[in-house]
Amino acid sequence: MISRYSITAIALLGLALVAGCNGDSTTEPTPPSADDARSGGEMTIMNASSAAFSFPAPNLDGEAFNLHAEGDAAFEATFVTAPASVNAGLGPVYNNTSCISCHARDGRGRPPYAGENFSSMLFRISIPGTDSDGGPNPVPGFGGQLQNRSVFGIPAEGTISTTYIERQGTFADGQSYTLREPRYVVESSYRPTPAGMMISPRIAPPVVGLGLLEAVPESALLANADEADHDGDGISGRANYVWDVKEGKQAIGRFGWKANTPSLLQQAAAAYNNDMGITSTMFPLETCHGQPQCDTTSDDPEVDEQTLKAAAHYTATLAVPARRSLNNPQVQRGQVVFRAASCNRCHVETLQTGIAPNAPYLSNQTIHPYTDLLLHDMGEGLADNRPDYLANGREWRTQPLWGIGLTRIVNGHTFFLHDGRARDLMEAILWHGGEAEASRNYVQQLPRTDRDALIAFLESL
Amino acid sequence: MNYRFRIPFAAALLAATIVACSDSTTEPVDTDAQTTTAILNDLAYKVILPTYVELDQKAQTLADAVAALQTGITDAKLEAARQAWRDARRPWEQSEGFLFGPVDTKGIDPSIDSWPVNKTDLDAVLASSATLTKEYIDGLEGTQKGFHTIEYLIFGTNATKPASAMTPREIEYLVAVTQSFKAATAQLRQSWEASGDNFAAQFANAGGTSTIYTSQRSALEDIVGGMAGICDEVANGKINDPLTLQDRTREESQFSNNSNADFQDNIRSVKNLYLGTYGANSGKGVSQLVAAKNSTLDARVRAEIDAAIAAIGAMQPSFGEAIFNNKASVTAAQAAVLKLQATFEGEVTATLLP
Repeated sequence: MISRYSITAIALLGLALVAGCNGDSTTEPTPPSADDARSGGEMTIMNASSAAFSFPAPNLDGEAFNLHAEGDAAFEATFVTAPASVNAGLGPVYNNTSCISCHARDGRGRPPYAGENFSSMLFRISIPGTDSDGGPNPVPGFGGQLQNRSVFGIPAEGTISTTYIERQGTFADGQSYTLREPRYVVESSYRPTPAGMMISPRIAPPVVGLGLLEAVPESALLANADEADHDGDGISGRANYVWDVKEGKQAIGRFGWKANTPSLLQQAAAAYNNDMGITSTMFPLETCHGQPQCDTTSDDPEVDEQTLKAAAHYTATLAVPARRSLNNPQVQRGQVVFRAASCNRCHVETLQTGIAPNAPYLSNQTIHPYTDLLLHDMGEGLADNRPDYLANGREWRTQPLWGIGLTRIVNGHTFFLHDGRARDLMEAILWHGGEAEASRNYVQQLPRTDRDALIAFLESL
Repeated sequence: MNYRFRIPFAAALLAATIVACSDSTTEPVDTDAQTTTAILNDLAYKVILPTYVELDQKAQTLADAVAALQTGITDAKLEAARQAWRDARRPWEQSEGFLFGPVDTKGIDPSIDSWPVNKTDLDAVLASSATLTKEYIDGLEGTQKGFHTIEYLIFGTNATKPASAMTPREIEYLVAVTQSFKAATAQLRQSWEASGDNFAAQFANAGGTSTIYTSQRSALEDIVGGMAGICDEVANGKINDPLTLQDRTREESQFSNNSNADFQDNIRSVKNLYLGTYGANSGKGVSQLVAAKNSTLDARVRAEIDAAIAAIGAMQPSFGEAIFNNKASVTAAQAAVLKLQATFEGEVTATLLP
């Protein structure tokens, strides 16, 4: 069994600055402060190992720490087909058997390697129109997500074949690059899929620092929104508004690739239900309820309230790894480039959390997540052409960048973007279009040294 | 419900880190760099890789022992298969102090050590008319293959299954599942070997040519974290769940009654990393770094490792029975492992990773 890992964080140490390092930068980078390294405020931990995303925040109180540990176990629990004495209730159709099998090491999923099935990536599906809550319109016989696995005797809904088309490009200095454009086709579906079915690939995202993002006040999010682009900078972030199941009303969306989920509790419950076929009081029906391949017996809630709460709390209370190499001149230059390219207009460097009820460890924190949590039109190249509440087929939520430089050591790969099409950070940048097109073009014009500096900066996050 | 030992925060050593001017990565000046290089090299080539090589060899022995059941099962042949399972289990449990790298990133772990067994689907497969090949098993979830599915089939409930109860269909499944298992152990071994993905070099050359471990510190963090992590898993998971719930179905190796060996081997995994030893191999381990800074702490860690292994052995007649009839021994073993975990998370971390 993959082992749980809960180490008590030692306090982050401020780095002593050494005067007299001669970078040959032509600009004036802001001298780094200890605060710059503390991406998660008091929830920061100094660790850059493969377990960097797996620590409880160092500032949790005893009760929060114990619930985190309980959630840690829940996050790792592998479900099996009922009846069973332990972890019963998998399926009937599902994408994976545990939380951790998608969010490996609490980190980032990836497209399958040759010969593998889809494991840490899934596909949302819908037909034109909306459901009664304003969300995506489920596909008759398939629902809102393609479950590519199933328990014995039940057909899986289908799978997806992926082919990539290589697209050549060139930087202004003549260096060439290649981007791979994916094409997804549904295969082996247990029944024909309807014409006009829309497909949206989704990689499992890292789960660090999510409680802090949940604790950012709505007013702070909306302060960054500029839907009509009144300031004329070509960037017009907007909030998604989605259905909050617990509250029974519309709420601002924060989580998911299209900000289609309002809270970590609902995120956890939806993942149990859609990804593993595990019912709860929030989502009491199996995803295949009413579909011909599933039995019609109604399940008891397969995950209880306490376990659901613990799993959500676990994702709220993971520590954020500190930045590295703040004193490296190349990294400092990279931050100058990052700002000059206006990356920080959407990948907002600093946010403040508000008062989180019963969670002092999340409250009043200065954090550096590099996101505004808002939707932006990212252009035709990245479009999934599938709406999700208010998000249209070209809009995506700005992804947090904290911890992104640790992807390789934590997950053994550097596949980025919503479907892992980018094979490294530069490819991810070059896919940016729409509102980010000017920033992408700026990077394309940069000399090699500045491009490398930009990547070095991102690797320091 | 999940009891956790909470370590009070060690007073942080606010040692100012002197940052060297360099045009690559800024690393603290580390007088231990050469020692660390030697340690990481020995851990990669004298401890970790040999552990995986032995696992792969023992997986072949297990597949052979199971294949022998096809030509007429006897109690002796079944016992040989069971011993082969125990022999393969040892290097795996001794690898659980370093569950980082390809075992995780390549998604190999679930094919080797998923728990619990999906008995419902396993029974359905056995009752089906499917032809049971290695390829068929490869396509199943981890909960229908690997150590615990094999364990369930060859030991039965609580190690009492007689040879006469083994069906031809179960033997057919066993032959296929042990072949699938052997393929997984081979993949794991090759991922560390120079002829394969050569992760051993990535680890050994941390802070140098490694593209994954950009600093020695990150490799040390993985080792220290790995040692603390398996202590956590043994004390707060493997021991705690069956004990507090008074439920043997929560015991990981419940069919073979192998928990005492499992837990001891987990702590031996810690010992191997700490001392730089594996079997006949002897190299430099984490101990070298600790002793250079604090010989008293080094002696304490060694003593606590041995005390934990001894305390686990003292859970008699076996862990599975002791959780009901000899709880004091179980609680004592848990406390010994927690003590070791606290030492790694506290003083050892503060000493090596300020």
